[in-house]
Amino acid sequence: MTPLEFLSIAAAVFAILMCGTGLLRFNLFLYSLQTFSIALATIAQSQQAKEPELYFVAIAIIVVKALAVPYFLSWISNRIDARSDPGILIPIPITMHAAIVLLGISYPLAKSLPHILWLSDSTVGATVAISLLFTGTLFMLTRRNALSQIIGFLTLENGIYLVAVTCTRGMPFIFEMGSLLDVLVAVMIAGLFVFRIKKSFEHIDVTQLDGLKES
Amino acid sequence: MNDLIMALIAPALIIFACLIARSISILTKLATGLILCHLLVMIKILMPLAIGNTTFLTLLPGFAIDRMSALFLLLTALIASASFAHAQVFFKQEETSGHGLQTAYVRQYYILATLFVVAMMAVYASDNLGFLWISIEATTLLSAGLVYFHRTKNALEATWKYFIICSVGIAFALLGTIFIFASSQHDQQIGSLSCFELVKLAPNLDLGSFKIGFIFCFLGYGTKAGIFPLHSWLPDAHSEAPAPASALLSGSLLNCALFAIWRIYQIAQATGRCQFIQDVTIWAGAVTVVAAALFLVRQYGIKRLWAYSSIENVGLMLVAIGLNSPFLFFLQAINHSLAKVSLFLISGNIIQSTGTKYLKDIRGVFRFAPVWGIVLALSALAVAGVPPFGSFVSEWMILTENFNLKYIIPAILIIFGLTLTFIAVCLHIGPLLLGTPKSTSKIFRPIASSVVPVTLLIGSLILGLTVGYEGLIKVVR
Amino acid sequence: MNFTEILCFIVLFLVLPILISGFIRNLKARLQNRIGSPLLQPLYNLYKLLQKSETISQDASPLFRIVPALNFSIMLILAVLVPWLPFHFSLPGSEIFLVLYLFAAMRFFSIIAALDTGSPFSAFGASREATLSALTEPAIILSLVALGIAYRTSDLNEIFSFSQSHGLMQVSIWLLSGAGLFLASLVELSRMPIDDPTTHLELTMVHEAMVIENSGPNLALIELAYNLRLVVYYGLSAQCFMHALAVLFTIDHATYVLLSILAIFILAFLTAAIESFAVKLAWRNNPEFIAYALTMSLLASLAAIFQSAFASLSLGNLGAFL
Repeated sequence: MTPLEFLSIAAAVFAILMCGTGLLRFNLFLYSLQTFSIALATIAQSQQAKEPELYFVAIAIIVVKALAVPYFLSWISNRIDARSDPGILIPIPITMHAAIVLLGISYPLAKSLPHILWLSDSTVGATVAISLLFTGTLFMLTRRNALSQIIGFLTLENGIYLVAVTCTRGMPFIFEMGSLLDVLVAVMIAGLFVFRIKKSFEHIDVTQLDGLKES
Repeated sequence: MNDLIMALIAPALIIFACLIARSISILTKLATGLILCHLLVMIKILMPLAIGNTTFLTLLPGFAIDRMSALFLLLTALIASASFAHAQVFFKQEETSGHGLQTAYVRQYYILATLFVVAMMAVYASDNLGFLWISIEATTLLSAGLVYFHRTKNALEATWKYFIICSVGIAFALLGTIFIFASSQHDQQIGSLSCFELVKLAPNLDLGSFKIGFIFCFLGYGTKAGIFPLHSWLPDAHSEAPAPASALLSGSLLNCALFAIWRIYQIAQATGRCQFIQDVTIWAGAVTVVAAALFLVRQYGIKRLWAYSSIENVGLMLVAIGLNSPFLFFLQAINHSLAKVSLFLISGNIIQSTGTKYLKDIRGVFRFAPVWGIVLALSALAVAGVPPFGSFVSEWMILTENFNLKYIIPAILIIFGLTLTFIAVCLHIGPLLLGTPKSTSKIFRPIASSVVPVTLLIGSLILGLTVGYEGLIKVVR
Repeated sequence: MNFTEILCFIVLFLVLPILISGFIRNLKARLQNRIGSPLLQPLYNLYKLLQKSETISQDASPLFRIVPALNFSIMLILAVLVPWLPFHFSLPGSEIFLVLYLFAAMRFFSIIAALDTGSPFSAFGASREATLSALTEPAIILSLVALGIAYRTSDLNEIFSFSQSHGLMQVSIWLLSGAGLFLASLVELSRMPIDDPTTHLELTMVHEAMVIENSGPNLALIELAYNLRLVVYYGLSAQCFMHALAVLFTIDHATYVLLSILAIFILAFLTAAIESFAVKLAWRNNPEFIAYALTMSLLASLAAIFQSAFASLSLGNLGAFL
């Protein structure tokens, strides 16, 4: 087991733990830890694959996704006084256990990926990446708070990034940076809209945004 | 390089104008003038490509234009000019009708709309799948502000849905792009994201991961295009946006997303082993047509009606892509864009003068605004695919092509969907045009407010007559 | 196991339970800006309780008198069986399931003893304790079983010995199991987020309500068993963390023993910190907290299963990476 794999497992664990609480601040903290592990995994990968430009990507991830974005979101949650998310569909503890089950399912899924994607035996990396995709989606589906939706989206994005790190050799640098910038801008805009939603509707519960239902 | 700078001068000037212009009327006039210049510049740059004298134009590393992108770029420039030109009337009326239009909002609108148009052009001009993805994501980010123009609760809700659903969809497209990149790393190759290189490399691609990549890209860009189960944001966003923005969204943004799918589909075709992908595309298109037609039957808002009709047309274009016919794809796209933009703009006028967007509250358009009524009726017929207009020809050709390639059931589904659409549109439009109008609604600036829709309509008619004539000859032979 | 080790074990066995609970109390007081009781206060309390006479409800059966002694003796057996310190007696009975069921038996006896008196409060405490233990038990079982899967044995002494080869996957299993055990033991020992051991409000009590009828020497035995249980649980989680550490760095035995004791104190410190800064959860939010314990142990089991799937993988070294 390589450091890359260990760190990606840590990311999966943090993502799963994130599903287990409704406290936004705690969610953001765990999201930040998860992103940190992914950034460190990137550094590990850059050592292993001799791709020095991944260092810059890792630093950019730490600065943007692990520090700036959670800080910005927690600032918003303080400003609009949104502390917790009661969840929807299934109870929060069950969500966490569902995420574990999905982690289990992602292993055979990762195994069944086409063989080209096995660069240096990256089963664990691919498993974790798929599990992050699942966890992010699950998080978005089972939360009602607009901020939680953003966090779920970011987790999903982390999973996609991890696919790029573990399953390909040398994703173009400019593309990585471009997508990172896009995420940053998307979060900023989404944050502004959360402010607006709070102002117009006096809540940020997206399940109650149903003024435009069909007839 | 010079071409690139020339193409970017006008948008830059519009943004500059937004920052300095004092009043709304000056701003709108400047923007209209500049966007028309932009259209001329684009025609000058792209005409050689569009008619096939030149085949390829490289702008920057990762950005290149071939014939298909030149055609779509021209279409985008045309739609943008139409939308900006009509926006002048729209904002004027919005200002006089006393909705409390703020200059800052209009400024913001113009800046975002200009950037949005540039981002859409970047989609067509990018040769690299990565840049393609980034540009499409940028269109989402920029157009969210356009949808939110009215600052109402409904607009906010529509914006939020649009933003979140499309962002997640696009994220999946990113995943697909990564898989496609991985598939090009078969046999220790370096890998590439360039469409043209990928088409050349296609036989060497790893088919398994390419298929996964295609499916994710299809889902991702399909969300943006409004393919059936993923369309939920589209009617909301299109109906809540102000009319010129709806026209941009419907007339060119959907084409953008479909163009991305087309690019990847080209690679799939080049692999030569893509029956599965072709089936998926055609079936998804056919199902989208039927589903949109069914949704059309019960609609309450005039712009929602056109939004669902756009979804239906997306389905048709998807079928055209699946038939691997760039010509049909572009024909359907241009016909749809011309007629639909005209419809959205004229519906915007009607909504402004009656003050409601509910179908049941609008009556007697023929009575109080005969010009609008006629344009609306003709555009609606054009969208529904009635013979003299362009859509008829393209739909007809798509159907015959479907039968030729033995996609019988999708073809039947499409016929059913088209019929249903025609009936539904007629049923909804009939009472709206006839009947007695409310006393409050009356026509404003009849010439200025109809000049753009009428122009587009004439374009669609000419297209139908010329291409239709050629097409009919082809069919007869 | 040589003579020095046995001596060490006996000393620690006698000293640690009193010391740790005194430490937690004192630290909590200091964190709350009080001076607090001396470290040996639990000992003084026990002495005081042993001096007192006992009051027993008229309705209580002899069972009520027997149970504290019974539980205390089970606890003594457990303290020898469970490898909560880095010394191992080669006793044949240190099976995971035996240990788990001995713990369960203790809970069972204390619950019936509480019901035996017929006091509504203790019955109410007993019912809550039963609910909590039903929720926590899977977490404890799974975190131990995960280790069992990873090392292909159900013998705790063998699991906690150093004869096995180690990789980074083991580190994750150890860490996750340790975290799961620690969180579960917070519930099991009725510590803060679930139950406040210093509460004076009967409605919020769990453990305190259950033993509300006991007094005098009887209560002293319960307290002593509780202190021992605390050290055994913390010791076991500390051992899990220590094993994770031992995979990454080579540590000689004496340092290892010292570090293990330090680890127990760190866990005690954590407990005190949680009790000072966290608030008690509402009863209906308890499953949310316990879910974390369960999650950790589930993840540990998952990791253990993965690890058996990758038995052939080469071993990495995080130390070199760092």
